[in-house]
Amino acid sequence: MNEELNQHLSQLLDDELDYQVALNLLQKMHTSPELKSTFARYATISHALKTDQFLPVPPNISENIAQQIAQEATYLLPQHKPAGHHYKRAALAASVAVVAVLAARGVNLPPLPATAPEATSLQVAQKTPAKPEGQTIANTALQPEDPYPLNARISDYLEAHNNSVYTGEVDVDFRPLTKETSYNQR
Amino acid sequence: MNVLIGIFACLLLSAANPLAATPQQPPAAKNALTTMLKSMQTLNYQGTVVFLRDGKLEPMRYINAAAQGREQERLISLNAPLREIIRDTGNASNLLKTTRQRNTGNRPFEYSFLIDMPNNLDDLDANYTLSVLGEETIALQPAYIIGIQPKDQLRYARKIWLQKEHFLPLKATVYNHAGKTVEQLVFTELIVKDTLPFANTQPVKNDIMQSNAANSAEAAFIIKKLPSGFRELFFTRRPLHNSTQLVDHLLLGDGLALVSVYMEHATASPPSTNTSKTVQSLGAINFFSQTLGAFEFTVMGEVPSETVRLIAENIKLREKK
Repeated sequence: MNEELNQHLSQLLDDELDYQVALNLLQKMHTSPELKSTFARYATISHALKTDQFLPVPPNISENIAQQIAQEATYLLPQHKPAGHHYKRAALAASVAVVAVLAARGVNLPPLPATAPEATSLQVAQKTPAKPEGQTIANTALQPEDPYPLNARISDYLEAHNNSVYTGEVDVDFRPLTKETSYNQR
Repeated sequence: MNVLIGIFACLLLSAANPLAATPQQPPAAKNALTTMLKSMQTLNYQGTVVFLRDGKLEPMRYINAAAQGREQERLISLNAPLREIIRDTGNASNLLKTTRQRNTGNRPFEYSFLIDMPNNLDDLDANYTLSVLGEETIALQPAYIIGIQPKDQLRYARKIWLQKEHFLPLKATVYNHAGKTVEQLVFTELIVKDTLPFANTQPVKNDIMQSNAANSAEAAFIIKKLPSGFRELFFTRRPLHNSTQLVDHLLLGDGLALVSVYMEHATASPPSTNTSKTVQSLGAINFFSQTLGAFEFTVMGEVPSETVRLIAENIKLREKK
């Protein structure tokens, strides 16, 4: 009997056991600490054989997990209904169609780059200087690396110029948007 | 006979009101703006206005109270830094709610937080062309679009959307020469009321008086030649940087655009923001700094960079008598 149970334990670990037999075995493990201990030992041996690594598993790991699951909060929010079979079929059909089209065109998908090209181009676009404001301005360039920050003096000037708009707190906020313009005298 | 009298009376009424336009025939641009100025000064109205400046949005509550020849405007910020700005018949109080510190300044050249225009719109004729560009709905209210096109490259173009019912401004936009919006305000809702309360603007103990008008002849500098249409509006000399160092401030305007010229001792200034002799800009504001003798000059305003540079190049130290 023990020999048969041990064989079932081994099959269970290899996912070769019949569903009903596996269920009966798990029920027996639930009531037999000895069987449970044997299962843990088999699992450790199996893991070591398959991965060449030994991970010591505490004998009471399953109880601990069961206890933690029992202590988990129960969420009463409505759950999304699983997608119906027709969605799965549609998704499968779409995937097959894409594969068929790509195969028909003989497209070789390039390997994924280390950084997404879209992100790179976006970053470049953000750093691109704005267009010059008029045709009379011959040479316009953003100089974000201006060593001198927009200082308190300019902030005070702005406030004095139009105190309904500027409140003396512009030196920090406005700095990234400051741009410099040069032009040729007519 | 009665029919003829009726028709004659209708014609008289139409002639008396230049804005009595049919839906197919919009009013003349200058008439519409004249009515706008009158409505802004005499009607009680409030709403939420959003300012777009330098790519930043700032929503504010706007209240205009008018009664018995008195007018008071209030702007209350909806986001931090919390502040309330009150303009009461020529005085602009800038109340910073975060500190409860109130700065009071006399700014007789300002007529409105929304749109500043001369009472006599003929003053704009030399430098701007006014026209009705069409109609549009703003904040669920039908509006006329008034275009203000400069006649040279020294100022920006503008558009104003005027509510058809009362000719109050619902939206105003400033465009640079490339046609890009550099400044904008738009009401998300605007309601005209029979009456609105005035806020208390009595001076309080901790008020800081920011500016009193002085004679521009006291300025230590002159501007040899102003761009067409610009004239001196206001001059003051006062400390600006929380110090005893006085700064000369001369305000110029062409009826729509304002330009400030500041002068202070170069040694008293923090490091210059401008070492490359270029015009810098913040949204519609362009500014340029230069040193002349022992003084640092900065010119800034809602005008193209060329105008700022032109004014800066014409600054000259006043000769001592």
